[in-house]
Amino acid sequence: MTTTATTTLTDRYIDAILRRVPSRQRPDIERELRASIADALDDRLEAGADPAEAEVAVLTDLGDPAKLAASYADRPLHLIGPAHFLDYTRLLGALLITVVPTVAAIVGLLRAIDGDGAAAVAGDAVGAALTAAFHVTFWTTLVFAVLERVPTLKPLPIPKWTPAALPEPVGRRTRYAELIAGTVAMVLFTSLILVSPVLRLQTDASGDPIGALDPWLWDTGLIYVFVGLLVIALAFNFATYYAKGSVPVAIGRAATDIATSLTLIWFAANDHLVNPAFVEAVGWSSDVTKWINGGVVAVCIASLLSTVITAVRDYRQR
Amino acid sequence: MLDDELLTTHLQELRRGTVVLACLLILRKPNYGYALLDLLERSGFAVDANTLYPLLRRLEKQGLLTSDWNTDESRPRKFYRTSDLGGELADTLSHDWDELHAAFRTLKGES
Repeated sequence: MTTTATTTLTDRYIDAILRRVPSRQRPDIERELRASIADALDDRLEAGADPAEAEVAVLTDLGDPAKLAASYADRPLHLIGPAHFLDYTRLLGALLITVVPTVAAIVGLLRAIDGDGAAAVAGDAVGAALTAAFHVTFWTTLVFAVLERVPTLKPLPIPKWTPAALPEPVGRRTRYAELIAGTVAMVLFTSLILVSPVLRLQTDASGDPIGALDPWLWDTGLIYVFVGLLVIALAFNFATYYAKGSVPVAIGRAATDIATSLTLIWFAANDHLVNPAFVEAVGWSSDVTKWINGGVVAVCIASLLSTVITAVRDYRQR
Repeated sequence: MLDDELLTTHLQELRRGTVVLACLLILRKPNYGYALLDLLERSGFAVDANTLYPLLRRLEKQGLLTSDWNTDESRPRKFYRTSDLGGELADTLSHDWDELHAAFRTLKGES
């Protein structure tokens, strides 16, 4: 290697540093760094090293120019540091659990009003949720990365943490009340489904009652599968109350909740919820069926999200 | 047997800050970056060049060091010197170090 080539190596190293430091510091840093590199090089040459190898060794000792430049410029080598990290995760979490389900519900509702099929409604709602989650995450991260790099920008004064901010444990009495309310609602809902074919809300020409729910559900027996799922979900509610913290019970509960929601979405997507004869007998337009299907899908998606969020939260609190 | 990585981390934690005090003490006599690197190493404060050079500038920015360019020789060099403020900090840190040293001796004497 020639001397020109080794000089070029130092020049390139200095260039790489100077590009990354504020311009007013450049002349001073360049002058000092050149002198330091030359001093180190002289030492190695005096010890009898090969000039090219000595230059490489000196620059290797100084290390990655991006790192050294960051150190000169007092620039952090992390995206979000400890000063802002907790605020960042708290804000991001709060935004994600509020904005994302809201956006999904609104988009799903608008699509349902347009009279799209339930599959399209569900697809668009999920797509909107993903897009919203991406935007929320990206922009929040960007704002905090900027805060980290502009020392004059101080985030809003956040009240000092005190022990009073600790979450209160949910009392056993509260959980018992929730359990009873859930049980009553479940029993009423299940009974209503099962007796709906014989309720005399509307009658046909021969005076027989017209059920509000699609007879297809009974013909295929799927309504019993659905009711079965509801009963299992109720059992898991009790199991959770008496065996709080058991992982198999928590997984079983989440799986049952998800299966129930998916079954309902599937019924709605295939237009098997409402009995068309019932709609006709009441004199509603066919739009009402689409509204009901869309609404059921939106509620199910919200329920799916809440199941997942609860499961993740419980898992992290273990 | 101590894991090398574990040992390095803890040694670094313990020594962080001692280089600052060593610089403030040595630079009561003006000196330049590369010579200081050598001097620190011979005094038992091994430090990397890429840690020391930015550190000197940071201490200068904080007003603990002052600097002058010496252009008498063929190679111009930036000479740093401990300022009055730096001297004050060096005294305080030295005092703190002595207290820590005494505290450790007490701890070890009792065990």
